[in-house]
Amino acid sequence: MKYAIETHDLVKVYDNDFKAVDNLNLYVENKTIGGILGPNGAGKTTTIKMLTCLIPKTGGEARVAGFDISKQPDEVRNRIGMVPQLVSLYNDLTVRENVELCADFYNVDQKIKDKKIDDLLELVDIKYAQDKYVKNLSGGMQQKTSVVASLVHNPDILFLDEPTVGLDPTTKRVLWDLMVDLNDQGRTIILCSHDMYEVDKICDNINIIDSGKVVANDTPQGLKDQLLHNLEENNRHIRETILKLEQEGIDENREEINGLKSSLTDESEKITVMVSNINEDMVNALEMLDVVNDVKTMGNGRLNISLKRSETSVNHVITSILANGGNIASIKTNDPTLEDVFVAITAKTRKEIKNGN
Amino acid sequence: METKKVWWMIKKDLLTLWRHKVQFVSLVLFPILMIALCGWGMGGTVENTPVVIVKQTTGDVTDQVINAIKADKTFEVKDILSDPDEAKRMVDNGEVRSAIILSSNFEDEGTRNAILYIDSSDQMTTQMVIPTTQRIFASLSEQIEMSKISSLNRNVGFFEATSQSIKLQINKIYGDIEYIDYLLPGVLAMTMFMSSMLGLGNSIAGERERGELARLFMTPTSISSVLSGKIISQLIREMIQAIILIIAAMIIFNVVINGSLFLLFLVMLVSVLCFVGFGMMISATARTQEDYIQIVMPIAMPMMFICGVFFPKETMPWLLEKLSYFLPLTYANDAVRAVMLQGAGIGSIAMDLLILLAFTALFFVVGVVRFNRDI
Repeated sequence: MKYAIETHDLVKVYDNDFKAVDNLNLYVENKTIGGILGPNGAGKTTTIKMLTCLIPKTGGEARVAGFDISKQPDEVRNRIGMVPQLVSLYNDLTVRENVELCADFYNVDQKIKDKKIDDLLELVDIKYAQDKYVKNLSGGMQQKTSVVASLVHNPDILFLDEPTVGLDPTTKRVLWDLMVDLNDQGRTIILCSHDMYEVDKICDNINIIDSGKVVANDTPQGLKDQLLHNLEENNRHIRETILKLEQEGIDENREEINGLKSSLTDESEKITVMVSNINEDMVNALEMLDVVNDVKTMGNGRLNISLKRSETSVNHVITSILANGGNIASIKTNDPTLEDVFVAITAKTRKEIKNGN
Repeated sequence: METKKVWWMIKKDLLTLWRHKVQFVSLVLFPILMIALCGWGMGGTVENTPVVIVKQTTGDVTDQVINAIKADKTFEVKDILSDPDEAKRMVDNGEVRSAIILSSNFEDEGTRNAILYIDSSDQMTTQMVIPTTQRIFASLSEQIEMSKISSLNRNVGFFEATSQSIKLQINKIYGDIEYIDYLLPGVLAMTMFMSSMLGLGNSIAGERERGELARLFMTPTSISSVLSGKIISQLIREMIQAIILIIAAMIIFNVVINGSLFLLFLVMLVSVLCFVGFGMMISATARTQEDYIQIVMPIAMPMMFICGVFFPKETMPWLLEKLSYFLPLTYANDAVRAVMLQGAGIGSIAMDLLILLAFTALFFVVGVVRFNRDI
């Protein structure tokens, strides 16, 4: 089985004729961590509800763990676990009682149930709190309990919907590590989140959904590279148009040429270099380099440098600083983030919808 | 600045109400229903009490009595029979509330006897029917004696003559019923009903709202399994509550249960099952607990007035009385009252139980079919 999740033209239309999912084609490879991103109202939650057999589809096909969600819903349910955003545990039951309840609802073999629960409670480090009421636990511990309740039947696929919302950074990291560990054990993880850092950090592959469709699908780095590529392509196209207009007559097309020039996006590479002993000669030497557009001295030994994009640009900068006696403490590149990718892609989709395309 | 904030809160709440159609419709309909039902159902006048008259002779006085009873709004004469035993049977079976039995020598002066055979388990009706009947017979006696005095041209005291003209014997078939005796069955049925409704709201709509049900429905578990568990737990809760209520009434108010305790529990069990089914049907599609309450209250509150909990349903306007036959609380109330006050056996309440079971089956089927797994 290549894909843990595969949908073909999946459609969901609600009673009020609102099409929440519109011919969605989503693929998540088996035993990977797949991220699902999308703006609010994009159709993520509806998609998850269909994939977890909570609501019926209106059209198309979807298979989860190799089983059809409409024809084999119980096979699907047996192979998936879900950690919802809303903790949704019984507050007046203890941690262990909540997990036992889920184990019995998943028909876990009574002979292995106790050991399984013990192992999972230990895995997420809440066994010491197993007899505490859920209502008396912190948000992080409640979420850990929710994870255990979702894993008690040993599912192949684990869905997590905004699992770290409202948690402190330390608990977040514990849950991220847990997701990676579960993936290493051979489980497929489907992570729905608005936390771009979280998705960037742990996901192997990302599907961005907007207006009920998959509008981008790649690795986190692939999406960022794609953004840069699109930016360069767009600038190249604008420059060609400007050149053509200039050839036709600068005066006649001045207004249009100026408009096009202002729409050019800054495609330079920006880096921050921490140098312990910045001096004037060093800065002058950097400004003289062909690959450097601009150098700004920011204080505290920080240089913000704008470069022309090339494979050797950073090498030239390092060589120049060292040649002027500089001690480089660190270099940080300011590449596009996943958030930049998300904003660019969803803005483009919204623009297309507005224009009726 | 603070005024602006207060204004915003008011505006927000009113806009929310306007945009939340279920709440808005309930807000409008609930007071209309309440005032209409209180006005019609709780007017304080008992009218149209079903009665049969036993006529064993013919003559002017007999006709005067029958016409006077027919003319009084308190009564609705269902039939005029000749057999006293048949009339008593109709009262015993609850087909009518009372029988007015005129003696076989009713036309013979000096031996005019009448018996009011009345179902005293319905305290409200009893309190109205007895004085009304006494008034009618006293008035007729007065007329008879006055005409006699006129014809004999004698001056005899009015009250003396009246008391001797028609003798009315009152026969309360369940003896003197205390108000608490009368009230308890109704309160018991109503408590089971309201408690089942509210309990189901929290149990299903509340868990749906909090996402707890969604977690269960993501497991390979059928809707009917989840609902069965909820229904049984609700059943246990309501039965405990009902038993506490009965014990409290017995200890504090010395209420006596005339019928079989086992039969009473059976009636309670069937009634609660039916009410829980009703709540489940409503909660099948309610997304939040608030939605559930807004749907249930406009249905539940009128039921208490229409179904004979506080007032005999026969005294309601025609439309409301007929409507009561489509509501399960009517049958639960009748059955509980029959067992507790009349000491009725299974045969007497079999129809009530069958109807309650039919309602239960309907509610469960509709509830399960309409139930939505979605949170």
